[in-house]
Amino acid sequence: MGRAAPRAALRKMLKNEKPGFRLSACADLLVHLNFLLFLRRLAEEARTNAFQNRSRIIKPEHIILAAKVIEHF
Amino acid sequence: RKKPLEPKMSRSFIRVFKDYAKMPVATESFRIVEKCTEKYFKQLWNDLAAFSSHAGRKTVEVSDVEVLMRRQKLVTDEIPLHVLIERHLPLDYRKLLIPVAVSGNKVIPEIKRS
Repeated sequence: MGRAAPRAALRKMLKNEKPGFRLSACADLLVHLNFLLFLRRLAEEARTNAFQNRSRIIKPEHIILAAKVIEHF
Repeated sequence: RKKPLEPKMSRSFIRVFKDYAKMPVATESFRIVEKCTEKYFKQLWNDLAAFSSHAGRKTVEVSDVEVLMRRQKLVTDEIPLHVLIERHLPLDYRKLLIPVAVSGNKVIPEIKRS
Protein backbone atom coordinates (compact mmCIF):
# COMPACT_ATOMS: atom_id res chain seq x y z
CA MET A 1 0.00 0.00 0.00
CA GLY A 2 1.61 3.23 -1.05
CA ARG A 3 0.10 5.42 1.62
CA ALA A 4 1.78 7.81 3.98
CA ALA A 5 1.61 6.67 7.59
CA PRO A 6 -0.29 8.94 10.00
CA ARG A 7 2.76 9.33 12.19
CA ALA A 8 1.60 12.29 14.26
CA ALA A 9 -1.79 10.68 14.80
CA LEU A 10 -0.19 7.49 16.09
CA ARG A 11 1.93 9.44 18.54
CA LYS A 12 -1.11 11.33 19.77
CA MET A 13 -3.04 8.13 20.22
CA LEU A 14 -0.34 6.59 22.39
CA LYS A 15 -0.06 9.77 24.42
CA ASN A 16 -3.81 9.80 24.93
CA GLU A 17 -3.98 6.15 25.93
CA LYS A 18 -0.75 5.88 27.93
CA PRO A 19 0.43 9.25 29.22
CA GLY A 20 4.13 9.15 29.96
CA PHE A 21 4.96 6.79 27.15
CA ARG A 22 6.25 7.89 23.77
CA LEU A 23 7.18 6.29 20.47
CA SER A 24 10.79 6.26 19.33
CA ALA A 25 11.91 7.56 15.94
CA CYS A 26 10.99 4.63 13.72
CA ALA A 27 8.68 2.67 15.98
CA ASP A 28 5.61 4.51 14.73
CA LEU A 29 6.24 3.14 11.25
CA LEU A 30 6.23 -0.38 12.60
CA VAL A 31 3.02 0.33 14.49
CA HIS A 32 1.55 1.47 11.21
CA LEU A 33 2.77 -1.73 9.56
CA ASN A 34 1.17 -3.72 12.34
CA PHE A 35 -2.09 -1.89 11.81
CA LEU A 36 -2.02 -2.63 8.08
CA LEU A 37 -1.41 -6.30 8.77
CA PHE A 38 -4.28 -6.30 11.26
CA LEU A 39 -6.62 -4.82 8.67
CA ARG A 40 -5.44 -7.33 6.10
CA ARG A 41 -6.07 -10.21 8.43
CA LEU A 42 -9.50 -8.88 9.33
CA ALA A 43 -10.32 -8.43 5.66
CA GLU A 44 -9.21 -11.93 4.80
CA GLU A 45 -11.23 -13.52 7.58
CA ALA A 46 -14.28 -11.46 6.66
CA ARG A 47 -13.88 -12.47 3.04
CA THR A 48 -13.79 -16.15 3.96
CA ASN A 49 -16.92 -15.71 6.05
CA ALA A 50 -18.67 -13.95 3.19
CA PHE A 51 -17.75 -16.80 0.83
CA GLN A 52 -19.06 -19.38 3.25
CA ASN A 53 -22.37 -17.55 3.46
CA ARG A 54 -22.45 -17.28 -0.33
CA SER A 55 -22.62 -13.54 -0.01
CA ARG A 56 -21.14 -11.39 -2.73
CA ILE A 57 -20.61 -8.46 -0.43
CA ILE A 58 -18.94 -8.21 2.96
CA LYS A 59 -21.66 -7.50 5.51
CA PRO A 60 -21.19 -6.33 9.11
CA GLU A 61 -21.87 -9.79 10.54
CA HIS A 62 -19.01 -11.25 8.53
CA ILE A 63 -16.65 -8.75 10.07
CA ILE A 64 -17.99 -9.33 13.57
CA LEU A 65 -17.33 -13.06 13.17
CA ALA A 66 -13.86 -12.35 11.81
CA ALA A 67 -13.09 -10.02 14.69
CA LYS A 68 -14.02 -12.73 17.19
CA VAL A 69 -11.61 -15.13 15.52
CA ILE A 70 -8.66 -12.75 15.61
CA GLU A 71 -9.42 -11.38 19.06
CA HIS A 72 -6.58 -13.42 20.51
CA PHE A 73 -4.24 -11.90 18.00
CA ARG B 1 -14.47 23.58 19.42
CA LYS B 2 -14.76 20.93 16.75
CA LYS B 3 -11.80 18.87 17.83
CA PRO B 4 -12.67 15.28 18.78
CA LEU B 5 -11.98 14.33 22.36
CA GLU B 6 -9.97 11.25 21.55
CA PRO B 7 -7.44 11.04 18.76
CA LYS B 8 -8.50 8.23 16.45
CA MET B 9 -7.37 6.50 13.32
CA SER B 10 -8.75 8.53 10.44
CA ARG B 11 -11.59 7.19 8.35
CA SER B 12 -9.54 7.21 5.18
CA PHE B 13 -7.17 4.67 6.68
CA ILE B 14 -9.97 2.40 7.63
CA ARG B 15 -10.82 2.39 3.93
CA VAL B 16 -7.61 0.42 3.38
CA PHE B 17 -9.75 -2.48 4.55
CA LYS B 18 -11.54 -2.30 1.23
CA ASP B 19 -8.30 -2.71 -0.70
CA TYR B 20 -7.45 -5.79 1.29
CA ALA B 21 -10.93 -7.29 1.06
CA LYS B 22 -10.82 -7.58 -2.75
CA MET B 23 -14.60 -7.73 -2.88
CA PRO B 24 -17.47 -5.31 -2.34
CA VAL B 25 -17.88 -4.14 1.22
CA ALA B 26 -21.24 -2.97 2.53
CA THR B 27 -21.20 0.65 3.65
CA GLU B 28 -22.41 -0.15 7.15
CA SER B 29 -19.54 -2.64 7.53
CA PHE B 30 -17.08 0.19 7.90
CA ARG B 31 -18.65 1.12 11.19
CA ILE B 32 -17.74 -2.31 12.50
CA VAL B 33 -14.23 -2.05 11.10
CA GLU B 34 -13.88 1.25 12.89
CA LYS B 35 -14.99 -0.33 16.15
CA CYS B 36 -12.53 -3.19 15.68
CA THR B 37 -9.78 -0.67 14.99
CA GLU B 38 -10.49 1.10 18.26
CA LYS B 39 -10.31 -2.15 20.19
CA TYR B 40 -7.19 -3.18 18.33
CA PHE B 41 -5.38 0.05 19.20
CA LYS B 42 -6.45 -0.09 22.82
CA GLN B 43 -4.88 -3.54 23.12
CA LEU B 44 -1.86 -2.52 21.05
CA TRP B 45 -0.94 0.43 23.27
CA ASN B 46 -1.42 -1.69 26.37
CA ASP B 47 0.90 -4.38 25.04
CA LEU B 48 3.54 -1.95 23.85
CA ALA B 49 3.52 -0.08 27.14
CA ALA B 50 3.89 -3.39 28.97
CA PHE B 51 6.82 -4.45 26.79
CA SER B 52 8.72 -1.21 27.12
CA SER B 53 8.14 -0.84 30.85
CA HIS B 54 9.32 -4.41 31.23
CA ALA B 55 12.58 -3.28 29.63
CA GLY B 56 12.63 -0.34 32.03
CA ARG B 57 11.91 2.26 29.39
CA LYS B 58 9.32 4.94 28.85
CA THR B 59 9.87 4.96 25.10
CA VAL B 60 8.41 2.35 22.82
CA GLU B 61 11.32 1.19 20.68
CA VAL B 62 11.41 -0.64 17.37
CA SER B 63 12.42 -3.81 19.22
CA ASP B 64 9.26 -3.68 21.35
CA VAL B 65 7.09 -3.65 18.27
CA GLU B 66 9.15 -6.47 16.82
CA VAL B 67 8.62 -8.58 19.93
CA LEU B 68 4.91 -7.83 19.73
CA MET B 69 4.77 -8.91 16.11
CA ARG B 70 6.60 -12.08 16.99
CA ARG B 71 3.98 -12.80 19.60
CA GLN B 72 1.28 -12.14 17.04
CA LYS B 73 3.04 -14.69 14.82
CA LEU B 74 3.44 -12.10 12.11
CA VAL B 75 7.21 -12.20 12.38
CA THR B 76 8.51 -15.76 12.36
CA ASP B 77 11.77 -17.45 11.50
CA GLU B 78 10.52 -17.90 7.94
CA ILE B 79 9.22 -14.34 7.61
CA PRO B 80 11.62 -11.89 9.22
CA LEU B 81 10.54 -8.35 9.97
CA HIS B 82 12.32 -6.72 7.06
CA VAL B 83 10.43 -8.90 4.60
CA LEU B 84 7.16 -7.58 6.00
CA ILE B 85 8.51 -4.04 5.82
CA GLU B 86 9.49 -4.53 2.20
CA ARG B 87 6.13 -5.98 1.29
CA HIS B 88 3.86 -3.51 2.99
CA LEU B 89 5.53 -0.16 3.49
CA PRO B 90 6.30 2.41 0.80
CA LEU B 91 9.88 3.01 -0.26
CA ASP B 92 10.48 6.16 1.81
CA TYR B 93 9.68 4.35 5.04
CA ARG B 94 11.56 1.27 4.00
CA LYS B 95 14.63 3.45 3.62
CA LEU B 96 14.22 4.71 7.16
CA LEU B 97 13.82 1.25 8.64
CA ILE B 98 16.32 -0.61 6.49
CA PRO B 99 19.22 1.73 5.76
CA VAL B 100 20.70 -0.44 3.00
CA ALA B 101 18.31 -2.24 0.70
CA VAL B 102 18.86 -5.93 0.08
CA SER B 103 20.02 -6.28 -3.51
CA GLY B 104 21.72 -8.82 -5.76
CA ASN B 105 24.68 -9.32 -3.50
CA LYS B 106 22.30 -10.80 -0.87
CA VAL B 107 23.80 -8.89 2.04
CA ILE B 108 21.13 -8.63 4.70
CA PRO B 109 21.78 -5.50 6.75
CA GLU B 110 21.04 -5.02 10.42
CA ILE B 111 17.74 -3.36 11.14
CA LYS B 112 18.26 0.05 12.66
CA ARG B 113 17.26 0.05 16.29
CA SER B 114 16.79 3.51 17.62
